[in-house]
Amino acid sequence: MNRTILPLAAVLVVAGLLTFGLSQRPWAPRADVPQPIPFSHRIHAGINKIPCQYCHEYARRSQTSGVPPVARCVGCHGAALVGGLQPVTRPWMDHTQPPFEIRWNRVYTLPDFVRFTHRPHIAAGVACQTCHGPVQTMDRIEPVHEINMGFCLTCHTQRKVSTDCDTCHF
Amino acid sequence: MSEGFSRRSFLKLAATAGAAAAVPGCQPAARKLIPYVVPDENVIPGVPQFYATTCTECGAGCGVVARIREGRVIKLEGNPADPIGKGTICARGHAALQGVYNPDRLRNPMRRQGSSLKTVSWDEAEKLLNDALKAAAAKGKNRIAYLGPAHQGPTLRAITEAWLAAYQSYRGIFYEAISETPARDAAEMCFGQRDLPVYHLNKAEVLISFGADFNETWRSPVELGRQFAEFRAPQARRGKLAIGYAYYVSPRMNITAGRCDEWIAAPAGAEAAIALSVLNVILSQGWVSPNAQIDVAGLKSFVASYDPATVSQQTGVPAKTIEAMGERFGKADGAVALAGGDDPATHAAAYVLNVVTGNLGRTMEFLEGMPPEPETRTNDVVAALDSMRNGEVDVLFINETNPVFSMPPAWRAAEAIQKVPLVVWAGGVPGETAEYAHLLLPLHHPLEDWRDTFPRAGVHGLGQPVMQPVFWSKPLGDLLIASARESGVKNAAPWENSQDALRTGWMKLNPKAAAADAEGFWIQSLREGGYVEPTQQAQVKLNVAALKTSPASRELPKLVLAAYPHPFLYDGRGADKPWLQEIPEPVTQIVWDSWAEIHPETAKQYGISKDEVVEIRSSEGVIKTAAHISERVCKGVVSVPIGQGHTSLGRYAKGVGANPFVLLKPGQFSAAVTISPTHTTHELATALFKEHELGRSIVEAQTITELANGVKPKEWQTDEVPKPYEMYPTWQYPVHQWGMTIDANACTGCSACVAACYAENNVPFVGRENVINGRIMSWIRLERYYPEQKYEHQPLLFLAPMLCQQCHHAPCEPVCPVFAAYHTQEGLNGQVYNRCVGTRYCENNCPYKVRRFNWWKPEWPEPLNYQLNPDVTVRGAGVMEKCTFCVQRIRHAEINAMIEKRPVRDGEIVPACVQTCPTHALSFGDMNDKNSEMMKRRVATNNDKRTYRSLNELNTQPAITYLRELYNEREKA
Repeated sequence: MNRTILPLAAVLVVAGLLTFGLSQRPWAPRADVPQPIPFSHRIHAGINKIPCQYCHEYARRSQTSGVPPVARCVGCHGAALVGGLQPVTRPWMDHTQPPFEIRWNRVYTLPDFVRFTHRPHIAAGVACQTCHGPVQTMDRIEPVHEINMGFCLTCHTQRKVSTDCDTCHF
Repeated sequence: MSEGFSRRSFLKLAATAGAAAAVPGCQPAARKLIPYVVPDENVIPGVPQFYATTCTECGAGCGVVARIREGRVIKLEGNPADPIGKGTICARGHAALQGVYNPDRLRNPMRRQGSSLKTVSWDEAEKLLNDALKAAAAKGKNRIAYLGPAHQGPTLRAITEAWLAAYQSYRGIFYEAISETPARDAAEMCFGQRDLPVYHLNKAEVLISFGADFNETWRSPVELGRQFAEFRAPQARRGKLAIGYAYYVSPRMNITAGRCDEWIAAPAGAEAAIALSVLNVILSQGWVSPNAQIDVAGLKSFVASYDPATVSQQTGVPAKTIEAMGERFGKADGAVALAGGDDPATHAAAYVLNVVTGNLGRTMEFLEGMPPEPETRTNDVVAALDSMRNGEVDVLFINETNPVFSMPPAWRAAEAIQKVPLVVWAGGVPGETAEYAHLLLPLHHPLEDWRDTFPRAGVHGLGQPVMQPVFWSKPLGDLLIASARESGVKNAAPWENSQDALRTGWMKLNPKAAAADAEGFWIQSLREGGYVEPTQQAQVKLNVAALKTSPASRELPKLVLAAYPHPFLYDGRGADKPWLQEIPEPVTQIVWDSWAEIHPETAKQYGISKDEVVEIRSSEGVIKTAAHISERVCKGVVSVPIGQGHTSLGRYAKGVGANPFVLLKPGQFSAAVTISPTHTTHELATALFKEHELGRSIVEAQTITELANGVKPKEWQTDEVPKPYEMYPTWQYPVHQWGMTIDANACTGCSACVAACYAENNVPFVGRENVINGRIMSWIRLERYYPEQKYEHQPLLFLAPMLCQQCHHAPCEPVCPVFAAYHTQEGLNGQVYNRCVGTRYCENNCPYKVRRFNWWKPEWPEPLNYQLNPDVTVRGAGVMEKCTFCVQRIRHAEINAMIEKRPVRDGEIVPACVQTCPTHALSFGDMNDKNSEMMKRRVATNNDKRTYRSLNELNTQPAITYLRELYNEREKA
């Protein structure tokens, strides 16, 4: 008896775990990502209306949109990194050790076999919010859409652009 | 077994439970995004940068453009502004990347203590060196010796000499194992000057090469390969459609010979006799050009003892063949003779052949302002070794060169080096010589360093560092300049560092431009990768008086060893680069090994069977290597490639094959040997399926007469599909249909395309065992077949690059159960790696065998993985992969076009293999665009009658159209 039931039960448990595990969508953007400093997109992009590409300057030129260098922050916040920052940001900037790197945690991740590139999307006039949601209302970035193949293809189909596999997979 | 849980069930359960536990782990840990603190305004992450620099893998000095991504060099391509490579490089040039990222490179300075090596700081190492130098200089003159390669570039040469002079030494030895000294000695004898000529093969209609493998390693293979393809292209000559007629005289049919019309099998050492005999025919028949103004009677004594009949008796080459060679050469409107090998007499005969037929200044010319002779004369090398042995040298500084591996045993280099109290070895991957060093210093790879090249008159290459050094290394120039300054001699090295030395020397190249705007001249040179100036032909006259006596003919032993440089490993320096080990030697298709090529009759005579390990013994030494029995080697010859047999030089070279240098006498590449079977076998790894085409139309060829008459060759008349049929609705290509035209006649077999593909597409290398198991991963290969006896006329080899044919009716696609292999809207046979489940049905169904399966997770030991192209997915285990015409490059161009709101331009997309082909045998374009360069090539005059599609009878309708190989009909022997 045991010889049949135990493995069978085990297989069921395993199947359940697998179903559960895969339903977690391994590549889904994470909603619970803490960041090293409480940077607010609401204040920057919403209230102060700073264009997205002022900071994410590579989006129109490269695959990656680029995370702004610390020098870009300092450009507005003060002339020198130490002492020059506005009092409101200093408490958090002080945590960053020389050479003043900010180690952001990634919210959006794509697997290696997807060759997404920002450049043509910006050129086609796709708003950043189309994929990233109303970033200008968020204090901490949280994903609104799950960036999976279905999401990409919905838009590509609507816009009548290539839905060939090797547009993104090569 | 008791009731309940068996061990087996437990293991099963444990395994599945483990897998289940691992599932939540799929959620990747939050990855970091770390921006620059202060960005480099010239760097856009994700967008490559390009730097012009020079290749230093051989002395040819091609210009290259390095592609840099995020601070790492990931690809080298030819520099279009460079007159030598003209935008293309060879396989060895590509593999320079694996020199930079070689995992076995010396990482920090080391000092030998007893039998072990201890890491030391640079300060410590330099102090040790400089103290020893000072002590040696205090003892007297010439107590210090430098041993380095000959082709280092003028600046590094000047720095080395200044450094030596600072320590009162003049013992700079610049050594090349494969020497050009015989060619220079012959030039001195014939013309009274030691410069080497440059050649224009494309201006000839007959070519004879006496052992000069100009498509592989001889002089400047990229440039000569390009000229050779032009020479072999069909064109109207004297009112008739013709291709150049080429002879190759050598003991072994290498790939250069395989692309000629006739391979004259001559025992090693007989090349000179045959060359002189051809000259004899020309002189005695009076086919001497009146323009040459030669004292024919005076020259006759030079070849007196070399009449065809006598030479035929000595060498076994029929007198009729020699006479035919002479007749063709003498009557040709433009002919060129090339000579390789160790015998100055061969070189002299080739020079004289060119002169008497009026080809000096036409197919062969001497230029004013050639670089000085780079190599140290043999006598001086031997003298330096002797003084080391006698304890007259206190410090020996060895840069890169590997004398223990490559010097003839008679010189006893290892013994001499051991006598030196302080041996300093500096370089990349430590080889055999480094084992004798007391101090090992890591040097910058040339791609991390400043350098210049001066390959020939009028061409100056400027090399700049393309990336930060990978390891804790230093530039050799800086090291020597700092060391020279330590000597205390005033103004010993009048430069700040090697960059300053380079720039100072560079300004002298064009004083006018430098005076007007030094910075501008410098920046322009950096951008263009060098400086090219017009050249002037030198007035050189044949000195007939010096050629009064016939050179003595070499004795031809019963069994003779013919050692030759491996096309990729050269003198052994390429053996540490896995790409070069894994790209098959084009004729034998053997990888990761060395072999002794023996004619079947000779093998029978000595009782040697296929793959049997044989012992080859000469007066100098003995080696053991597996026998490769082949008809493409002269009877009575054992032919062994140089380059393998390392006992050191990193994980990829160590313990592979045998080193024929140990059999050779100084200055000779042939030797009398004995051979004995050992009754053990060692399988030679090859990726080849079959030696013959077996009547299939994979690679096709036709004679030039057939082309001129518009006759389809008999052999290939049945390869048409009677009526092309469609089983499914046919594919439509509304925008593009990508295709290629490949001129098999222009392919020289150099394999640059294979290396370029490895670099561009992250193709893993697998090693010998896996190649034997049929698991080689290359997406493009050189398809080589031997001719079969049954046909009247055949070329020496059938050869063409084979890559995915991107079939219109692809056999791979319908068999994929998961639609991973699918047809793209642009006509490619796409492969979706993340969808592939690894059934390998597609591979089984592919008639071209161009799909590759990942049997395991590919590995690139750190830092070789730094070279990987970030634009291409690294495929995991269990996934099928294949060529997609570099779809990443297609996408890139399409995105550019879309952003600029224009169609993709013809020529904008260049796959890696097409980009690097020295002869432009491959071209890529849109089959929907009849005006594309690629499509026009299919219909061009003389091309339209030689198009074919590989395995056309299968109705796969490939997107690649080949142009047939062409060859001249040979007279029946």
